[in-house]
Amino acid sequence: MRQVLLRGLVPAGAVLAVAVLLSLVLGAGEVGPARALPVLAGGGDADARFAVLDLRLPRTVVAVAVGIALGVAGAVLQTAARNPLAEPGLLGVSAGASFAVVLVIASGASAATLGPWAAVLGAGAGCALALGAARLRGTGDDPVRLVLAGAALSGLLGAATSVVLLLDQRTADEVRFWTVGSVAGRDVATLGQVGPVLAAGLLVAVLASRPLSALALGDTVAVGLGHRPARSRAAAMTAVALLVGGAVAAAGPIAFVGLVVPFVARALVGPDLRRVLAVALVLGPAVVLLADVASRLLVRPYEMPLGVVTALIGAPVLVAVVRSNRLPAL
Amino acid sequence: MTATAHPALPAPAPGTAPAPPGTWRPALLGRSLLLDRRAVLAAGVLGALVLLAVAVSLSVGTIPLPLADTLPAVLGDGEPRDVLLVQQLRLPRVAAGLAVGAALGVSGVLLQTLARNRLATPDTIGLNDGATAFAVASVVAVSTTVTPSAFALVGSATAAALALGLAGGAGRQGHRFLVVGLGVGAALGALTQLMLARADIDSANRAFPWTIGSLNSRSGTSVAVLAVGLAVALPVAVVLGRQLRLLRLADAVVIGLGSRVGRVRLAVIATAVVTAGLAVAVAGPLGLVALLAPEIARRAAGPRGVPVVGSALAGALVVLLADLLGRTVAAPLELPAGLVTAVVGGPYLLWLLLTTRTRRIP
Repeated sequence: MRQVLLRGLVPAGAVLAVAVLLSLVLGAGEVGPARALPVLAGGGDADARFAVLDLRLPRTVVAVAVGIALGVAGAVLQTAARNPLAEPGLLGVSAGASFAVVLVIASGASAATLGPWAAVLGAGAGCALALGAARLRGTGDDPVRLVLAGAALSGLLGAATSVVLLLDQRTADEVRFWTVGSVAGRDVATLGQVGPVLAAGLLVAVLASRPLSALALGDTVAVGLGHRPARSRAAAMTAVALLVGGAVAAAGPIAFVGLVVPFVARALVGPDLRRVLAVALVLGPAVVLLADVASRLLVRPYEMPLGVVTALIGAPVLVAVVRSNRLPAL
Repeated sequence: MTATAHPALPAPAPGTAPAPPGTWRPALLGRSLLLDRRAVLAAGVLGALVLLAVAVSLSVGTIPLPLADTLPAVLGDGEPRDVLLVQQLRLPRVAAGLAVGAALGVSGVLLQTLARNRLATPDTIGLNDGATAFAVASVVAVSTTVTPSAFALVGSATAAALALGLAGGAGRQGHRFLVVGLGVGAALGALTQLMLARADIDSANRAFPWTIGSLNSRSGTSVAVLAVGLAVALPVAVVLGRQLRLLRLADAVVIGLGSRVGRVRLAVIATAVVTAGLAVAVAGPLGLVALLAPEIARRAAGPRGVPVVGSALAGALVVLLADLLGRTVAAPLELPAGLVTAVVGGPYLLWLLLTTRTRRIP
């Protein structure tokens, strides 16, 4: 435990603290650090107070929640699929959630009153497809092929989503801001809706972490240790569906966070899922926050979709994981 | 270069040796040329289908035109309005579709055969994303008088170098190479998005074709460049296809037969890069055409050869049909051809990935 603290949680926690501070004092607008810092001390002028407390603070809170969800979901999915490349965004889980939301809105629901459940169901379906594919003969023993299949599924669902949006102007207007993945302009009310879902997902993930760790040794060993592989996988799927569905409902599809966070966490504290989860809890929000800060600064005075920044960070990590000859290491 | 030439055995004089079963051996320029009969027939059928698709594409649209009036209008006969519609609006679009499809088909069949993997196509290994990123850079960052074609070429070459370099060559690592390509493609795609976000709102419309392939906003210049490129690349690709048949054998055997393996591989990659890059400069990243076209051609022509001409024809057919579907299925709304190919080809790609245990091309 001391190892986990020293090697994983302390550096991750430090990065997270810095990221939160940066997220509050930096932005695409006029209010720079010089005007934002007094606000944090309780002073500051009206404009700065508005920028920091009403715009950046909610955004920061949402980014933290989304980061926790995506980091933990990635760790759980990678262990359940026994594949270091399994990532909710790459495997079509996020795409399934987006497609479900767009379908529900196209059939007449309103984006404003739509809860997270459509996204959770869509993520569950995407996750079932991905893990089902992982169990197929030939795909399961080739971690790389699973990723390709996931990418193909993501592409297909994304294209289907685009078709719906092109054919239905109202849906397009309602979800335009959301399909690209961003935490800009989210308020705490969003979190009120999504929070319980994310909390439930976290609880399931923590409860399932022991049996899932046993699965890493192979089904036979896991059964010998008294676990039930089918049940463990179902629990993993539930956790991933709740976490990714909630995250997508809050911020749209954001890829690669679920790949990068467990990858770094494993490098810090080893492959044990419980340790990786503990680090991911802290590292996930740090990564999303840093990406969000970058998305505000890269194209000033405009902002970029957060998903683009995470892809820029994540794609090199994907290549690095594939190039490392330790595949499959889980 | 004939597939039968052998240093130790002088090639038989044209018309003297009996052709192997299932082949034709016509004389060409005083040399004998071995043609696979089934491949020739398949190319003929595909060509006929392409002509049919061209005719339908010219007559169908928001202003429908009977086929009987369409063909004269191509030549300038008939109502002035019809002539204008066909010659100015539909013909350029159809020509662009033909060229883009043919280029993607050629690029796909070359890469697939080289990597011995049906999934190794310019869109799966990041070539299209690279071409797109650089083309967008030329539109957004540099003055727009520079044709995006040149940039797109540099882009597809860069992506190919990155994917091949990082994966340590094609085909040696199985699917690993493809995931590296996926990563390269994702990074380049994100760069494209980044440049589009920087661009002013006005260029958002200009930028749309760069997010999904379509024949809507092709520029005359890039189509002309692509046509010239194809005129060079297609014959080269046919010759390379015959060389690639040899490369299926073990390297030692190939070298023994007098084929320079390294040179052929490099030439194949270069041709694939050029065709893919120029096609993307015209129509943006049209997905899955390069995967579907060679597949159709192989089914039609049989497993013996490398169906370069067949893939070019099948690619043209796929793009024309996708564009036609996109224009008609939800008229007056228009779906970009790239969405149609993604929705139609996606399930096939998935099936390919999940069912076959080994997808080596024979």
